Amino acid sequence: MSAVLEVEHLVTSFPSAKRGQTIKAVNDVSIHLNPGEIVGLVGESGCGKSTLGRSIVGLEKPQSGRVVFDGVDLGSLSGRRLREARRAVQYVFQDPYASLNDRQTVGEAINEALIIAGLRSQTEREGRIAELLNQVGLATTARDRFTRELSGGQRQRIAIARSLAVEPRVLICDEPVSALDLSIRAQVMNLFLDLREKLGVSCLFIAHDLALVRQAATRVYVMYLGKVVESGSSEEVYRNPSHPYTQLLLASIPEADPATERRRNPPLIKGEIPSPTNPPSGCFFRTRCPLSVKDCSTAEPVSADVSPGHKAACRFAGDLFAKRVSAA
Amino acid sequence: MQPVRPLLKAIGAFPRSAVFTICAFVLLGLLAPYIAPHDPNAQDLLVAGQGPTLAHPFGVDHLGRDTLSRLIVAARTSLVGVCLVLVCAHAIGIAIGTIAGYRRGWTDELLMRIVDVGQAIPSLIVSLAVIGIAGVSYWNMILALALAWWPGSARISRAVAVNTMNKPHMEALRVLGASPVRIYFVHLLPTTIGAVLVYATADAGAVALAIATLSFLGLGIQPPTPEWGQMLVDALPYLESDPRQVILPGLTLTLAVIGFNILGEAVALTEFRSR
Repeated sequence: MSAVLEVEHLVTSFPSAKRGQTIKAVNDVSIHLNPGEIVGLVGESGCGKSTLGRSIVGLEKPQSGRVVFDGVDLGSLSGRRLREARRAVQYVFQDPYASLNDRQTVGEAINEALIIAGLRSQTEREGRIAELLNQVGLATTARDRFTRELSGGQRQRIAIARSLAVEPRVLICDEPVSALDLSIRAQVMNLFLDLREKLGVSCLFIAHDLALVRQAATRVYVMYLGKVVESGSSEEVYRNPSHPYTQLLLASIPEADPATERRRNPPLIKGEIPSPTNPPSGCFFRTRCPLSVKDCSTAEPVSADVSPGHKAACRFAGDLFAKRVSAA
Repeated sequence: MQPVRPLLKAIGAFPRSAVFTICAFVLLGLLAPYIAPHDPNAQDLLVAGQGPTLAHPFGVDHLGRDTLSRLIVAARTSLVGVCLVLVCAHAIGIAIGTIAGYRRGWTDELLMRIVDVGQAIPSLIVSLAVIGIAGVSYWNMILALALAWWPGSARISRAVAVNTMNKPHMEALRVLGASPVRIYFVHLLPTTIGAVLVYATADAGAVALAIATLSFLGLGIQPPTPEWGQMLVDALPYLESDPRQVILPGLTLTLAVIGFNILGEAVALTEFRSR
């Protein structure tokens, strides 16, 4: 199965407030998405996961690296052809209150996306609007309401319907449910699973909620300070985390039962995330890592397979993996 | 009707006194020929310089023209002048500002440095220079004031445009693959015009004053067209013998400018609060 979307050695940096310095928000990241697959991208705030998503859809301009969609390097296209190729990768924003224009009705918002997609006939567009509203689980009567009159969950559904209007093959979902009420989250999550099922859309699911990603994603990437530190099938990564950062991150998920949660004494990730303007030498995680040794500050760890398809970028990854497997 | 709604909402929140003054001013300007009791240019040298009478409640000027009629018709001159100047200035300013805000990068830098230069020179000096080069006429005055006023509009427009472009719903359009033409003309421009229209009222008082100033200096509206600044100059020789002739146009001008300024301040405040 060939990947629908490939990101190769992507680097995106921003000019720092200090003159001449740059912040590498995404630092040499390579990921791929297979057709019809939901892939999770997790990490703390500020680790560059949103910047990675925004770079893929062209909202940020990468410094170097390639974004390849369906075998075509998007960097080799420009103007109208680039816009048309990019249309196949859509972005679902975190805040459904900001991502829709308050002055448009639901119908107008989706209609505009259909016009952009090049659907000329008004009657065809009317039909598609009804179909799309149906697809995201909204009544067709919602068409004439202003987006500002709707709830967060409804607005997020409309934002998704608008993205689907241009018939994308990939959805980049940037924390699509974290702005929603807890009770609505599951519904919207189910909608994503449903769309994958019915339309075969692939999803890159950016989230800081690890439990959520575990439920939905088949594979997962863990990012730290602009780099992917561990990747693999979510089952593998969640059962046998082999990077110290992932282990600490997973240990921070609270238990549902308050009694066990109170007795639990999770190891905390010490300190703050270092400034990406001036990242630590060698391994980026060494300043907060419980296992760090002297050599960690000189050599940058290479990402290596700990088991087929499961990679971790730590010199102790093999040992950590073996320990987890034997403990289980 | 994107630009109209915020404008109406903003006007509703303004101080009553200012809204009343401006409404009176606008109504006088629009209906001037029907309200004015006499022909503002009809001379009657037999009554020249006469004080208030039943036929001429505000008296007549040194050529025997009815002062009340001239004041009312001057409101129209001023209103039309202010509108023309603001429309021209904002047309240039919004075009430059939105292009800078849309393109960013070096285009933005270049355009904003030009705006800086424009703002560094006092507007009256710019106007005097333009009239000095182009000659004295009504349209040259409008052009001169528009050239003096556009940098302020460009700066505000750019700020609004940058802000708008960074909104997620605009980013969503870019991701959908909307053409630059659609993003600029269908979304960015109407939003910016709507926001900047509100600011425009804040400038109206200053423009009205500038028109009167230029006319006072003999560089703006030419006689016999009634204009407040022009009326002030005409009456100046009689300042000591008959101050009424100076005080009346002076008061009217002051009232209009204060009305616009209160309105402008209220605009600035509501804009500030809504941030």
